[in-house]
Amino acid sequence: MYGALTENVMQIPNPKSQAPNPKPGFRNPGPLGFGIWVLGFGICVASLVAQGPADQPSGPAIDISGYWTPTMNEDGMERGPGSELHDYGGFPLNEAGRLWALSYDPSRVTLRHHQCDAYVTPYQMRATGNFRAWEERDPHTQRLVAIHWWAQVTEGHRVIWMDGRPHPPAWAPHTFRGFSTGKYVGTALVVETTHLKQGWLRRNGTPESDQATVTEFFVRHGDHLTNTTVVSDPVFLTEPMVRSNDYYRAPVDHGTWLYACDDSEQILGRAPDVVPHYDFGKQPYAREYSERHKLPLGVAWTGAPSMYPGYADTAKNMTDAQGTALLSPAPGRPNEVSKAVDPEPRDSEIHVLPIRESVYMLIGDGGNIVVQTGDQGAFVVDTGTGRFSDKVIAAIAKLSERPIQFIANTSFLPDRTGGNAKLGAAGMDPSLPGSFFVNSAPRAVTGLFADPLRHATIIAHNNVTNRLQDAKTPDEAVPGDTYLEDRRRKSHNGDSVEMFYEPNAVTDGDSIVFFRRADVIVAGNILDLTRYPMIDAKNGGSVEGEIKALNDILNRTNYEHEGEGGTYVVPGHGFLADEHEVVEYRDMVVIVRDRVKGMIAIGATLAQVKAARVTADYDTRYGANTGPWTTEMFVEAVYNSLKPAAKTN
Amino acid sequence: MRPLNPWWLAVGGSWWEVPVASAGSRIAATAVATMLALATSSAQRGGAPPAAPPTPRAAALFDITGYWVSLVTEDWRYRQFTPAKGDYVAVPVNPEGKRVADGWDPAKDEAAGEACKAYGAAGLMRVPTRLHITWQDDNTLKLETDAGTQTRTFAFGKAPTGAPTLQGSSVASWDQPRAIFASPIPNRGGPQVRGGSLKVVTTNMKPGYLRKNGVPYSANAVLTEYFDRLDVPGGESLLVVTTEIVDPEYLATPYWTSPHFKRVDASGWHPTACTAR
Repeated sequence: MYGALTENVMQIPNPKSQAPNPKPGFRNPGPLGFGIWVLGFGICVASLVAQGPADQPSGPAIDISGYWTPTMNEDGMERGPGSELHDYGGFPLNEAGRLWALSYDPSRVTLRHHQCDAYVTPYQMRATGNFRAWEERDPHTQRLVAIHWWAQVTEGHRVIWMDGRPHPPAWAPHTFRGFSTGKYVGTALVVETTHLKQGWLRRNGTPESDQATVTEFFVRHGDHLTNTTVVSDPVFLTEPMVRSNDYYRAPVDHGTWLYACDDSEQILGRAPDVVPHYDFGKQPYAREYSERHKLPLGVAWTGAPSMYPGYADTAKNMTDAQGTALLSPAPGRPNEVSKAVDPEPRDSEIHVLPIRESVYMLIGDGGNIVVQTGDQGAFVVDTGTGRFSDKVIAAIAKLSERPIQFIANTSFLPDRTGGNAKLGAAGMDPSLPGSFFVNSAPRAVTGLFADPLRHATIIAHNNVTNRLQDAKTPDEAVPGDTYLEDRRRKSHNGDSVEMFYEPNAVTDGDSIVFFRRADVIVAGNILDLTRYPMIDAKNGGSVEGEIKALNDILNRTNYEHEGEGGTYVVPGHGFLADEHEVVEYRDMVVIVRDRVKGMIAIGATLAQVKAARVTADYDTRYGANTGPWTTEMFVEAVYNSLKPAAKTN
Repeated sequence: MRPLNPWWLAVGGSWWEVPVASAGSRIAATAVATMLALATSSAQRGGAPPAAPPTPRAAALFDITGYWVSLVTEDWRYRQFTPAKGDYVAVPVNPEGKRVADGWDPAKDEAAGEACKAYGAAGLMRVPTRLHITWQDDNTLKLETDAGTQTRTFAFGKAPTGAPTLQGSSVASWDQPRAIFASPIPNRGGPQVRGGSLKVVTTNMKPGYLRKNGVPYSANAVLTEYFDRLDVPGGESLLVVTTEIVDPEYLATPYWTSPHFKRVDASGWHPTACTAR
């Protein structure tokens, strides 16, 4: 019944394990065989001699192995000392990208969780510091498996897979360098990169989203290597961004390849919900660039037109009012909607992503589900919408030889609890039979424990049970094992499993679940990478509670290297995250809250706040104008949770 | 003691004189002799006279012709606008180059009829412009810019001679990575490579500007360019011009840039005159 993990599991193939072993059948050819080999060799040579020099070289057209030093003849200031504030000239930024950049306060890097942010690939390839490249070949077949590219600054290690493997699915983790595959086209090495983290296109906050993809061309002319990057980013760019980076080959090892980074307290006593940023229209240094270079205000903020010939003629006529207008969202324009890839497979199948140890993420039932397996029964966190519960149960059965023993709900919301009844019924809690409490106490006390062999135990904060009971949810779908205050803990399957109550975040019953040994946090809908947080004010949600919950997650995470990896965080929806996604999401919620708060402070109505488009720099990533959770609903929830007495208009 | 001749040195001589030790070794030596005989006969095989080599146009490694537009995404302020005098950041000018740059006077250039000094070959490709590239004849490519209405010609074979000009004398060749010595062992597993660069070396230029604010290059400068066409899968075609300028007079080190262009149609072609400011 509980078979091996075989289907629908994302497994990056290990080329070493797939390599055919040439040893069987390979033997010393002996003198006669040697002679025959030489005859064949001779025919080959004869053929070559007869043809003269080959018209085309064969094999890989370019070898980029070796040590490379970047030339900084282009954008030298940006790539060396640092770019000027608010200089986005030549970047095809859309409105969201421009506003994101203008809102960026460089002191954001003083925040603990940003201090060690690495560079994303499009910037890394252009950053200062030296580079080293080497090939990885299968030891048995000598086929090229990967090309490794190491960047001195931030210890950026890229792996360009050359073995034809596919890119991971949409729900796989993102990294600063992304997932790259390469192939030779003509005399170029062409590399495609996906699964990037949010980062910079320029070191002054010019953004690149986690939806960006990159095409690169490596072309070599003698000891000169040119890397052309083409960034496509539906979130922040209106058209691809093309840049080229030049390197020259260094004859010797540069050394000093390490770039240690540990975060620390940089500003003592700062409140945890402070995120340095500028409000729209209130950037104190907005005029600095234009005044220094005697250019009209805003000439570097117009996006794609600034890339093309003739721009100088139109830019010189820009008025100050036109430039000032670019500091804020265009009024009267409808909210943009998310351009992000839908991470849901929507193929009526349940897909499994191994996370770490024996913890897995299940994707496909309208909300991420987590399963921990081991000697004891499976521990499941959240149960999806319930639409595909039978397939979820089948997937869990392949992961765990034991039935589901515990189900934890991170909230009462239907995408967290929809499968409670079926998954619960498919499991059992063997710790209860024979229990004094189960067998001796009246059913009114034991609740679902009364029939333990036929049901898993469902655990949640007590408010989840209250909300589900208020909604007349069938008993078998209601958590029977609840907690009231800040923490519930269990030792299960060799791991410490902790639930922490996050009061008044998206609801009044939210928990995060922390698998301590596996170092995996299940965030539920506190972290929703597909939309703005679904703050359910009617059920106790609030923006302040949401920010506190996100900070609580960040207080428990650690990164493995240069701001990424380490603790994995499973969002309610979207790809498997680490602390970088959490901190970017936290920043977003704080910034929107601050804008709304600022407008409330000057007496703005909800209608005025909505009209101000306070989310304009995030809408192309998280926004929606239709569906169950629109941008307007989010803004209204923020407004109402900051000013409960306020009414629309 | 009789020296042992390696068996592979026996070819062309009396191989049977070599003290071979086994039948296998004799077969090996026979094989080498056979292969050389094969090679020789194959190479000397007579018949039709050798075909004339294809013209550079016919031998083109890629189609470079058409209209291309600058994507000014690097050094944006320096290229879209005329920077202030003395702003030569990131250009490796030597002290003499700085001295000349600090003396830039656009009015003087205009008065001297030299408003096009920033449109010379070594600076032209970084001017925001459209390119129109055509074959002038089977041996010559023509590159026109609408910015400054300039024309460069790339001659395959021998460079034209004469007095120095703004665009200099350019020699072109199709360039592919190639080993100095071909390996005797063909690569059976690798792909056959088709592709490469257009290499253009330009000399004999009149002095001009690398930046519009008078950062100079001299008549002794040598400009080497590699034109690479890069087709983005499912996207547009790019032309990247990897450029090296060596100028012993004004540059301390080679100056490397790689301006890039996107393929477009003719609709935006709008020739304009040079401007010195």
